[in-house]
This record gives sequence, structure tokens and C-alpha cells, in this order.
Amino acid sequence: MPDKSKYLDIFLKEAEEHLAALQKGLLILERNPETPALIHDLLRSAHTLKGSARMLGFDGISAIAHKMEDLLLGMEEGRKAPDTGNIDLLLQGSDTIARITGALARGEESPVDLEKFLTAFERGECQVYAVKELPKPEEALGDTIRAKVKTLDSVVNLIGEMIISRKRFEEKVSYLKGLCQSADTPLPVDSLQEFQRGLEADVLYLDYLIQELHGEAIALRMLPLSTITEGFTRMVRDQAKAQGKEVKLEVVGGTIEVDRVLLEILKPMLLHILTNAVDHGIEPPDERLSRGKPSQGTVRITARHEGSSVRIDIRDDGRGMDPERIKQAALRKGVIEKEEAELLRGNEALYLVLRPGFSTSEIVTDLSGRGVGMEVVEKNLEKVKGNLLLKSEVGSFSEITLHLPLTLSVIEALMISCCGECYALPLTYVQETIKIRDEDITTVGGKEVISLRGATIPLVSLSTLLGLPEKKTLLESGKIAAAVLKLRDQSLACAIDTNHGSSEIVVKGLGGQLKSVEYVSGATILGDGAPALILNVPDIFANAEGVGTVGFRKAFAESEAARLKGNILVVDDSITTRTMERSILIAHGYQVEVAISGEDALGKVAVARFDLVVSDIEMPGMDGFELTKKLRAMDEYREVPVVIVSSRSRDEDKRRAIEAGAQAYIVKGSFDQGALLDTVEALIG
Amino acid sequence: MTEEKTEGKKAGYDISSILHEMREEYWQGLTEVEEGQEERLECVTFVLGGETYAFETVYASEVIRVPKLVRVPKVQEIIVGVFNLRGEITAALDIRPFLGLPQPPLTATGRIIVVKSDTFATGLLTEKVEGVSALSLNSFEPVVKSLAGAQREYIRGQLNVDGNLIMLLDIKKLMAAPEIVVEHK
Repeated sequence: MPDKSKYLDIFLKEAEEHLAALQKGLLILERNPETPALIHDLLRSAHTLKGSARMLGFDGISAIAHKMEDLLLGMEEGRKAPDTGNIDLLLQGSDTIARITGALARGEESPVDLEKFLTAFERGECQVYAVKELPKPEEALGDTIRAKVKTLDSVVNLIGEMIISRKRFEEKVSYLKGLCQSADTPLPVDSLQEFQRGLEADVLYLDYLIQELHGEAIALRMLPLSTITEGFTRMVRDQAKAQGKEVKLEVVGGTIEVDRVLLEILKPMLLHILTNAVDHGIEPPDERLSRGKPSQGTVRITARHEGSSVRIDIRDDGRGMDPERIKQAALRKGVIEKEEAELLRGNEALYLVLRPGFSTSEIVTDLSGRGVGMEVVEKNLEKVKGNLLLKSEVGSFSEITLHLPLTLSVIEALMISCCGECYALPLTYVQETIKIRDEDITTVGGKEVISLRGATIPLVSLSTLLGLPEKKTLLESGKIAAAVLKLRDQSLACAIDTNHGSSEIVVKGLGGQLKSVEYVSGATILGDGAPALILNVPDIFANAEGVGTVGFRKAFAESEAARLKGNILVVDDSITTRTMERSILIAHGYQVEVAISGEDALGKVAVARFDLVVSDIEMPGMDGFELTKKLRAMDEYREVPVVIVSSRSRDEDKRRAIEAGAQAYIVKGSFDQGALLDTVEALIG
Repeated sequence: MTEEKTEGKKAGYDISSILHEMREEYWQGLTEVEEGQEERLECVTFVLGGETYAFETVYASEVIRVPKLVRVPKVQEIIVGVFNLRGEITAALDIRPFLGLPQPPLTATGRIIVVKSDTFATGLLTEKVEGVSALSLNSFEPVVKSLAGAQREYIRGQLNVDGNLIMLLDIKKLMAAPEIVVEHK
């Protein structure tokens, strides 16, 4: 007897494949009983299973497989009918084997009473062993992979190319070294240019290689959606049967490939949605017939690519979801308050089913309606940064649309900055980026909101939410940059400092120390090597309530007031005087710019409009008198007041200043902030 | 000699590093003999709040310059930020307030000691790393009674080395402290 453990893994993999084939094949056979070729395939699967199990001494498995083989042989030879009873029996057999292999995989004892089972099988009784749960041996979807040899070859080739590419870089390094050590100084431009061109070509090629390799590596993580949906056909059938309903499951787009980790997260979500559809959605046959629908209900899973994400629609043609009933149920269960309920319009109420503690079923069935409700779906969606939409028409259908990223390792994100840090917002949550003007903001119950194409959206400040030092940043243009985020059917405008556009980012976990951090779902590494945090948008939505007042209108008002109070140019060659005058004026709400000489001042007035000029007399180059004369000669500055501030106190200077066209003269000796402010206020208010 | 050295390099080894290794082995042999009489502990020593601290070298995986630290919102004061440690996102800890020490701003001598626990690696911010040395345990004194709370908890005691006091940090306990882990909700 060879060492069992060495072959166990191989056997389990093989068994898994045959069991899946049996499951799938039997369900097809049930619908199309006249397919001898299929019966033969099934027969072969059972036979192989029996043989392999016997080789390793798993007598239980081989005995059950043997019984199945017998029954299938009977069908092939026409002795037995491929009817529902017999197919149920065979399905029972494959489930029982799955239970045993499942136990083997976990290193546990077989949970099956073999003798009892075989006797029952012989008698054609299967209800005794009705399978309550299916312990799937394929639980380890994420641990090992089966890769196409072609893909692996391609990966190996690409790595080989990269090694050659490295060689080329090494050559470049030694070439540059040689160039640096050569006696010619300065360095020959020709050679350097040639070097640069060569290096550019190498970098481009390396870039291409990395992209290809990345693509292949990602592909290795991908599995078709059918990997998980195959088991659902059976589940839906059994569940419907148990409730006396007729339901068929259709899967469109099962070949679409999705990240294996994503599939694992998706599976419980789909399971839950399907269970709900069969339990609450599809009506019993007589009810359907009385409504003019076919007696058999249909649940359809449709998957397709949409940009860089996958869209999965789960639609059933059952009784639909009634927003009014959902609202009432939510009120009854205390999920929402009366005030909130009144605000919900149309289909908005549908989303109440996602709230914790909500379950619409009036009767608690054994399969769903356990009070866990759609929460599972919501939780898992958060994990993968997905989005969900609900649509329904009472009496005709309900449809759940899931938007999921293709892979979890690379996502599209909007890069933004806020308080000096760079953050990534997953693009699946970003509706658009906008610039908000003062007139776009209004307040509702003291909270600031904006109006975007007719919809009222709350405005929050990202820095307030994240507890960063608050700073209301207006852009140069006097607007606020904001990202409009979406979650389900809600929107939220989030004020940020700068928007850096979207880019593809590699997602990294935060490690074992930062197990779960509010507002943060992961991190990525930026081009300069520094990390940037990926923000958790559901957290932002969850905490957006209550931080509504952000004072952006006040920020606008202040900047507006400064603009209205006047724009002043301060001209002085002394940095002390300049700075002093500037801070006095700014402190009193004026906007101030400084110039360090008469020439500098003329340059500044040419490009901006000032309401008043404060100038020194003695400056290198053009003096204050000359500057005043020049300003007076300009059309736009003929009427603009000029205040001369000088240490000269002679009447002669004052006279010259007035002659030149200055409106006021302040002597620096008597200089205090009162005199300057009074003068400026008197002149421009 | 120079020629010989280049040749050695070409063949994949370097004569001076081999000599260095031999010398190291020799000295190590001597230390081992010495350990018979005197118990020594190989420690990395560094400065926190102006005082000298130390812990066993086995727990330290590397010493790096302080890179750009990215603040993490809503986490405890001890976690100053995260940085990129060769592609792994790693937290940087300032344990000085935790130990009741003053926090002079880090200067150019500031370093991060990367410490590995069973489940994660973390960076300890220090004002300066003095080096690695085998500290004699002969002068070991258990922690002073006057120290309070977290100080007593995470400081095993002090060593008097040539008139300088070195505090011995219980790094293993510190790495297992729930205070340094973030798990919201």
C-alpha cells in the first residue's frame, strides 16, 4: 500500500471534478432523459471514481460509486428509467461521496453511515438521507490554482525577456561609466544623446514587458463565473421543489472571468440573493397561473463586462418588491423613524432591505428570512468595493444589479489630496468631480448642500471627516474642488484640496498591525515610493451625517469680503516696512500684494487691478514720485489713490508728492497702524 | 594585491570579506568562552526621549532612515503613520508618549528600527540608533519602583554600562500589546 497522504490531494482533486460532472450531468439528464451519450459519460465518471477510491482504499466511496454505476448501467441498458426518482437517488449518491471527500480533506472521520445508506439506496429510498447542507469539497477555491500550460509558458518567456532586458541596462551602465571616465571634458553631446535614445527604448520595452507580465499574472488569478454558478442550478431546483414551486435558473455570461478571491466573496452573496428570489420572489404555480404567468418561474443571472468592472444582474419574474410594504415593515421593526420614511420616494424604500435587522418574509422559512437578510450582501460588497442597485415592479419582477471590480489587486482610483496627504478613492464610488461656486451652496436645516443637475446633495469636508486639521481651501479660481461620491442610490459631495485625476493602482493590505481602520480599506504605493491610503467610501457615507455643517459659505464670504474691501499694492524696498504694512492691511480684511521697487510695481499693475497703492519714496531705481507720475499717466490708474509713506518729513517732499498726484502722505516717524488704516479707509472705505 | 582582489571578485568572492568573516568567527569564539563567567546580551541600543534604551538584537530586523510617513486617520497617538517597507505597508510607532517620555522632534540622526513579531513587522521611531553591542547583565537592576503604568509594564530594568544607564525594553511584550494594534469595530 503506497503512502496514502501523498496521493490524497490528487485523488481529492479528481473526485471533485467527477462529482461536479456528475452533478451537472444529472441535472441535464433530468431535463433531457433521451440522451444515451450523457448517460455513458456519467457512467464513466462513476466508474473512474470507484476505481481511484479503491486504489487508495477508500472503500466507502468505492461502494457508493459502485451502486451508482450499477444504476447508470441499468439506465443505459434500458432496464431503469432516467426519471426524477432515480436521478434524485444518483444525486444523493454524489452528495454523499462529496460529504466523505469533504471529511477526508479536513482530515476528519467519514460522517456517513455507509451500511444504512447502501441499504436505502438499494431500496430506492432517498428522502431519509435528504441533504440538509452541502459541504462542498471545493471550498479551497483560493488556495491552489490550475493554470493553463500556455499561460505559464508565456509567464516564463516574459521573465526571460526581462532578464535580457536587465542585461541591456547593465550594458548601458557600463557604457555610461566609460563615458564618464573618458578624458574628454565636456562630455560629448552626441554620445550622450545616443545613450539617452537607447535608454528610452529600453525603458519602453521594459514597460511593455511589465504590462504583459502583469496581465498574465492577473489572468492566473481569474476563474470563470460558472465555477460558482454551477452548484446553484441544483440548489435552486431543490429549494423550489421543497416549497412546491417550479423555478429554473438561467446563467448568461458564465464564461466571464473574475478574480478567484472575488468569486469566493461573490458566492455567499449570490446564494443569498437566489434564496431570496426563490423564497420571496417567485410565486407558487397556481398563483402564477392566475396572474397569467407561466407556472414555472425564472431566475436569471446575467454577467457582462462594463468598463473595467463586471456587472451581474440577478432578475426574477416573481411578485416584485413593494416599496410601500417594505416601508411599513421597516417602520414596524424600528429600522427607520417615521420622519425618515416620509422622505423616501419611489424605489428609495427598496434599499431599506439592506439595513441591519430587516427581513421582509412574514413567515420564517428554514432557508432564508433568518433575520440576517441582505446584510451579508452589503458586507461582502464593502469588502470588494462594489456597488448595488435595486429595481422592481410590483407583480412583475425584481432585479438586483451588482457592480464589481474585475480583480482586487488592481483598481481604478481617483487620486486626490487633502491636507497635504494623497488619497485614493476607488472609481466605482466616484460619480464625478466638480468645482463648486458660492452660489451652488445652500443650507438645509443648517447643513450645507449643493444642487447638482436638480438633485440636492449634502456637502461635507473630507478633512473634517478624517479628523485632519481643518482648512477651507478655495482654489485660485475661488471655487471648491469636490468629488461627488455615490453609494447605491445616494450621492455625497466631498470637498477636497486637489484632484489629481484617475489612475490604475495596485491594492495592498495594511498588514497584521492595522487590522481594520475606519475610513481606510487599504493602501497603494505612489510613483515616488510613498504610500497613499485608499479610502473606504461606505465609511464616509456612514459618518457623513452630522458633519454636514462645514462653513464653506463662510469661507466664500470671507474671500468675497476681502475682494470687496479692496486690493492694495504695497511698494517698498525695505522688507520690514513691506511686511509690516502688508500684515496690518491683511489683518483688516484687505487683499495685499507687494512690490520691491518702482519697476516691480509697474510690472504688477500691468497684470492686476489694484484699488490703492502704498509706496515709499526712496527706492533704488525709480523713486516713489516717479512711480506716482507714471501711474497717473496710465488710463486705468489715473483715479486710483496713491498713499506715500516716507521717513522724510519736510514740507518740500509732501508738496512734491501732491504734485506728482498722491492723495495722502504719511511720515514713517509718526507711523502707526492707525494712521495707515485711517487713510486707506478714508480713501477706499 | 589589487589585481588579486579584482580577480577574486570576478570569481564571485572577495578576499577581504573572507578575512573579515574569519576574524569575526575568531572573536565570536572568544566571546563564547567569556560567556562562561559573564552573561551577555546582544542588544541594539538607541535613544528615546534623550535616554538610552536597548532590546535584544534578535527582534530587530533592520535599521532604516525615517521615510515619508503617511498619517492614518482616527488611530491612536502611538501610530504616527505608515511607510513603504519594500512594498509592504508598515506602521511607524512613536512609543515615547506611551512610556511617558518627552518627544523632542526627530533630527537627521532619527532612525526607524524595524521589529518583527509573529504576525507583523512594525517600525519603532528613535531619535538615534547607537549601535549593536553585547551588554553585560552583571549590572542588571530590575525596574525602578517609581516608574508608573506602561513604563513598568514594558521596561524590564536598567543596566549600568560604564556609568551610563541603559533601559532594557521588553520588546516582546510591547509587540504583543493590544495598544499598538488597530481594529476598529
